[in-house]
Amino acid sequence: MIFAGGKLFPDAELNSVLGDLEAEIVQTLSGPPLEAETVLNALDALGRELDSGALDALIAQYAPPGALEELERVRPQISRASLEARLALELGGLSGPRPFGRAEVRPLGVLLHVAPGNMAGLPAFTAVEGLLTGNLNLVKLPHGDRGLTLAVFQKLTELEPKLAPYLYAFGLSSKHHGAIQALAALADGIVTWGGDGAVSGMRRLAPPGCKLIEWGHRLSFAYLSGWEDLDLSGLAEHVVRTGGLLCSSCQVIFLNTELLSVAERFCKQFLPVLEKAAAEQYKLPGQAAQGALYAREAALEQIVDRSGSGDLVFSGRCCSLTLRRDRELELSHLHGNVLVKRLPREDILPVLRRQRGRLQTAGLLCPGPEREKLAGLLARGGVTRITGPAGMSSALPCEAHDGEHPLRRYMRVVDMEKIF
Amino acid sequence: MFSRQKLFWLSRAYDLPGSDARFLRAVRDNCAYHIRHCPEYRLICQAEGFSPSCLNTIDDLEKIPLLPTLFFKRHHVSSMPGWRTPMKVTSSGTSGSFSRVSFDWGCIFAEIPMVLRLGFFHKLVAPMPARYVILGYKPGKQDKMGVARTMFGLTHFAPPLGRFYALRWRDGGYVPDLEGAVKKLARWARGPLPVRIVAFPSYLWFGMERLEELGLSVCLPKGSKILLAGGWKQHYAQEVEKSRLYALAKKVLGVEEGDIHEFFGAVEHPVFFNTCKRHHFHIPAYSRVMIRDVRTLKPLPMGEVGLLNLITPLINAAPVTSVMTDDLGYLTPGESCGCGLTAPYLTILGRAGLNDITTCAAGAAELLGKGEMP
Repeated sequence: MIFAGGKLFPDAELNSVLGDLEAEIVQTLSGPPLEAETVLNALDALGRELDSGALDALIAQYAPPGALEELERVRPQISRASLEARLALELGGLSGPRPFGRAEVRPLGVLLHVAPGNMAGLPAFTAVEGLLTGNLNLVKLPHGDRGLTLAVFQKLTELEPKLAPYLYAFGLSSKHHGAIQALAALADGIVTWGGDGAVSGMRRLAPPGCKLIEWGHRLSFAYLSGWEDLDLSGLAEHVVRTGGLLCSSCQVIFLNTELLSVAERFCKQFLPVLEKAAAEQYKLPGQAAQGALYAREAALEQIVDRSGSGDLVFSGRCCSLTLRRDRELELSHLHGNVLVKRLPREDILPVLRRQRGRLQTAGLLCPGPEREKLAGLLARGGVTRITGPAGMSSALPCEAHDGEHPLRRYMRVVDMEKIF
Repeated sequence: MFSRQKLFWLSRAYDLPGSDARFLRAVRDNCAYHIRHCPEYRLICQAEGFSPSCLNTIDDLEKIPLLPTLFFKRHHVSSMPGWRTPMKVTSSGTSGSFSRVSFDWGCIFAEIPMVLRLGFFHKLVAPMPARYVILGYKPGKQDKMGVARTMFGLTHFAPPLGRFYALRWRDGGYVPDLEGAVKKLARWARGPLPVRIVAFPSYLWFGMERLEELGLSVCLPKGSKILLAGGWKQHYAQEVEKSRLYALAKKVLGVEEGDIHEFFGAVEHPVFFNTCKRHHFHIPAYSRVMIRDVRTLKPLPMGEVGLLNLITPLINAAPVTSVMTDDLGYLTPGESCGCGLTAPYLTILGRAGLNDITTCAAGAAELLGKGEMP
């Protein structure tokens, strides 16, 4: 399906919608700018409908299972107060008087969003960020979108018809190479969410001069120092709750030690904590089954792919720990199956440097007096979030995104000289 | 020698106790073959202390190393060189990644008598030619999907006079043509020959719903059948109760409940599971099914819900002797069905949630086969 001008069209209309797009864009951009207040009002109205439960049926119909719970979690981020705070933080100070005259912040113009399929609401969220900054948004929907984004766009434009000319969505797959290229040719900026394949694919398609805004996939880890008397349950809950699937999910638990025996002792101490967290988290048989299948898969992969590696596997119910001898940050076996490695503090920097550009969250667990120094070291190593292990995937109000303020990237500064 | 053929040429298709000895012998030979020829399987058996000599009674089947279908999605393991495997089949990749399993000649020679035997048993085989409307994929060089082959295979139980595919391969992707299928059905319904609809259950349901919406119905000629294969796939959220599906089939297509057959199988376990006249999947003699605890993976008693563990000695080309799918289900004693078969029957409740795995952890999408190119 295609969404254009507040209406839905079948895919067969693609060429005709694309044919008219440039003229429509020029017409919209030459009209009055889209005020952030208009967008905030529309989002406010949508939020009220959401809170009243009026949209529950729509979400149940179009979103994957678990979307309502996920929405509950991110709801504060799309509240008026939170968005206003973001606008003030991210764009404040960019405009105003200058020695030469004044500076203004303006939208980039047209943003092409290559939207992610990994979270049901993200395609809509990336478009909302574009709207808040006054941009016209062309959204390439992810393959697995079941209609939620289109339903949200329809609802938003019903609530505020002024948004209609600023929102377009296209259900295009990789076979529509030409259409994606045509959209890229119209864009001032391309916002790409996704893995290395998606990012490099869009780089190839972007015309020279088009700004590339990439939200690539990331790796996160926990760093533990002097943990013996500390509470590990928060880390265990995080590991099973996120299943290793998020950018902020812990893939490797790094221990500040050289000694294998100390690391083994940690695994024996942590495994029951992890099992308890898994038993509490996996309430449905399907969830437990998923954990058990991945744990079995992890054990088989150890046998088949890493025989002779010297890895030690600590298997639990629906979860496992694999103690590896190297020090690299890498993807874990997922779903409650996490890696453990030794990483003395003096080796933190070289190890993290090898993953530069991919690092995100470090969940730091250590005694209070060590915290400041270790946090400084991790920050120098390139991580962009340092949290407690329990809160690695919790949204922090007004936080940056992978080390940057997104709204700022969707704007440009126009300097205006005062002519006397 | 030939223990597999002796099992698959067995005439009593649902006699489990009577086939236990042949089954055990064939599984023992099958495991020994994989241990000799598949290095990965050999490592697993060594690590888990398993050898074919561990299999002395039918209860010992639980000792065979259990390989989840997930393993075959990540490892394309084989016990034979490619030139000895005339067929390679892939799963449908509902969860983004797919298994690739090779079939050997011995497997094909074992499958033919099994399919024929079960086809006759379930009255699928008919001498009268039929016309087929397939709400599924047309098999072709571009894909090796198991379900496309199954559907194509199903069009041979009655001599095919014509086939219409509702999903066609065009410009690198499948294009649905439900309208075309409806037109074809309407035309063939006026003819004298039976029509057989071969379909994914979801496509049949959507198609029939569309017919109902448009106020259209046809009455397919006597002897027409609906053959359902492939499960609900990505449309599992819309899965409807079977009784509603049967009622709608009667209303818009004029097909009686007794003429609706369902099939179950997996690329990693290509045994031909058929529904009986009461729509239950009784376990045929060529397979054994165990239900495993979702937390411990230990075998569960009859009636308890768990993960499906499917065992068969059918394939020598790949070590799929004992596989665990991501389906949840349970077993019921055959006698309580009432159709006359005594083999326990399998009820599948659905996927264990693996379809919804989405990720932004670096590299995880590629690992899960979800890498999406723009």
